[in-house]
Amino acid sequence: MRMNAVSLRLPRPFISDHPLPWLLPLIAILVVFALYPFFYNIWLSAHEFIPRKRGLDFVGFDNWVKLFADPRMWNALWVTLFYTGVCLAIEVTLGMAIALLIDSDDPGFGILRGLLTLTLVIPPAITGMMFLLMEDAQFGIIAAFLGDVGLIAPQTAILAEPSLALWGVVVADVWQWTPFMVLIFVAGLRALPSDPYESAMIDGASGWQTFYRLTLPMMGKVIAIAVLIRGIDLFRMFDYVFVMTSGGPGTATYTLSLYAWQQTFSFIKWGYGATISLFALFIVLLVAHLFVSLTKVRW
Amino acid sequence: MLLSPWQRALRIGLAWAVVLAFAFPIFYWLTVAFKPDGDIFSVPPRVFGFEPTVQSFEEVFGISLGFERGLEVLPGGGNFYMLPRLWDSVVVALFSTALAVVIATLAAYPLSRMRFRLQHHFVFWVLSTRMMPPVAVAIPMFFIYKNFGLLDTYTGVILIHALMNMPLAVLLLKSFFDDIPVEIDEAALIDGASRFKIFRKIVLPMAMGGVAATAVLCFIFSWTEFLFVLTLTQTSLKTVPVVSSTFVTSTGTAWGNMAALGAAAMVPAFVFILLVQKNLVRGLTLGSLKQ
Repeated sequence: MRMNAVSLRLPRPFISDHPLPWLLPLIAILVVFALYPFFYNIWLSAHEFIPRKRGLDFVGFDNWVKLFADPRMWNALWVTLFYTGVCLAIEVTLGMAIALLIDSDDPGFGILRGLLTLTLVIPPAITGMMFLLMEDAQFGIIAAFLGDVGLIAPQTAILAEPSLALWGVVVADVWQWTPFMVLIFVAGLRALPSDPYESAMIDGASGWQTFYRLTLPMMGKVIAIAVLIRGIDLFRMFDYVFVMTSGGPGTATYTLSLYAWQQTFSFIKWGYGATISLFALFIVLLVAHLFVSLTKVRW
Repeated sequence: MLLSPWQRALRIGLAWAVVLAFAFPIFYWLTVAFKPDGDIFSVPPRVFGFEPTVQSFEEVFGISLGFERGLEVLPGGGNFYMLPRLWDSVVVALFSTALAVVIATLAAYPLSRMRFRLQHHFVFWVLSTRMMPPVAVAIPMFFIYKNFGLLDTYTGVILIHALMNMPLAVLLLKSFFDDIPVEIDEAALIDGASRFKIFRKIVLPMAMGGVAATAVLCFIFSWTEFLFVLTLTQTSLKTVPVVSSTFVTSTGTAWGNMAALGAAAMVPAFVFILLVQKNLVRGLTLGSLKQ
């Protein structure tokens, strides 16, 4: 009987207070699928595919030298940063405005918030297709509308115009992700204490003063988290440009992610593509960690 | 702030106008899915006033919905044969979600309940994997998968989607476990229960709502993912977002069919997102903001 009781017990580690057995599966999958590819990528960046040999050759730091001298890479970095900055600015501003508008307990506003969540779950690749159709020069409803209003010439192919193409992609991003900001900001607004607002009202503060002196500072942490998460996703954006423009016209919408992907899989520059993707990885980790330590966001 | 009735009406009107403007592209896309080919290409574009048809859906999925062709299945599985692709999406999303949630629940428990050395760094490492550009994982993973024969397999895609969702699942579940008072664990420990028993019999049942919300979000992110599937599959499986680009051909784009497929991909996600409204913001911010 006693033997039986012992053999039915769980493996020793699960009884102990040690966290390791609990974390082991997670550590295993992170090592195999995050750490190993990371080091493999570093190894790959020191090699290049040689078509004549049908194999990889060691090239040392050549890919990194090439990277820093490559005007197309700098263009891609600029496009990525510009896109990230513009989208963040629009989405935060618009998101805050809409959040203030729909943060209300009146009947119907719950339905409005529910409707806004719908854009978040559409596959970005399909969003890209939607806007590809809507921005079409002939049958596109957005192009037709902008043409009627007079913002662009009638029958303009927005995504084929070097000066407009990136904005055409920005529109899709803003449409899909402004609700992300709205939902987070509404949740933040609802959690704010009401006392300061009562004091402000008694003191006769204007609406704008209340927002600028009370709401904005108290929302600081919420805005920081939203900007961090959205900023990371914007910096690594791939889907929209892949389906909408493939980087064109020319190099007007080449993001760093797309450039790395095309170097590897379209131009068979395995090592160089890996180098660009590593460069993007280092930038995002550096900026994100700086941001986290400056804003003191905690998880 | 106190609003006069007029201001209140204005606010309601404005709020509806803004939200409907955001909903419009979805509505428009749905009309494209139900338009006959001629009306998709009408100049100027039309929103109303067309004869709705399910022809695009029938062509894409190779099924008959019984309006125009009777109830038999189209020969050859239709023009695009997309039903298996929908199935691929479901399989990948379901299994990757299950894997991510199981591993993440186990890991989230000690992160919430125990204190150990380098804990803060470990959490940050998990968070950092959320920051990696997918392309920096997809490129090396393509070559690793090629060597191990995982390219173009369900296993390969399921594993990479589980990894992709791991930071979200771990941090979100940790925040749900944090909501449960630690005194409950302590009382059970004094009564002689093992850690695993506390986890299985007390903490997990109490956090079930959070586990479900986490699973739904993982499912949605796997369902909408594009880059990994594009890179790591070739012919034997493809999910819906990736396959939608095959409608762009040299002879023109089959917009109606693409919209039909897109509509079929959106609807399950819409249903799911409405299920997790209560925990959505917490999920979107990886557990750092509570509603």
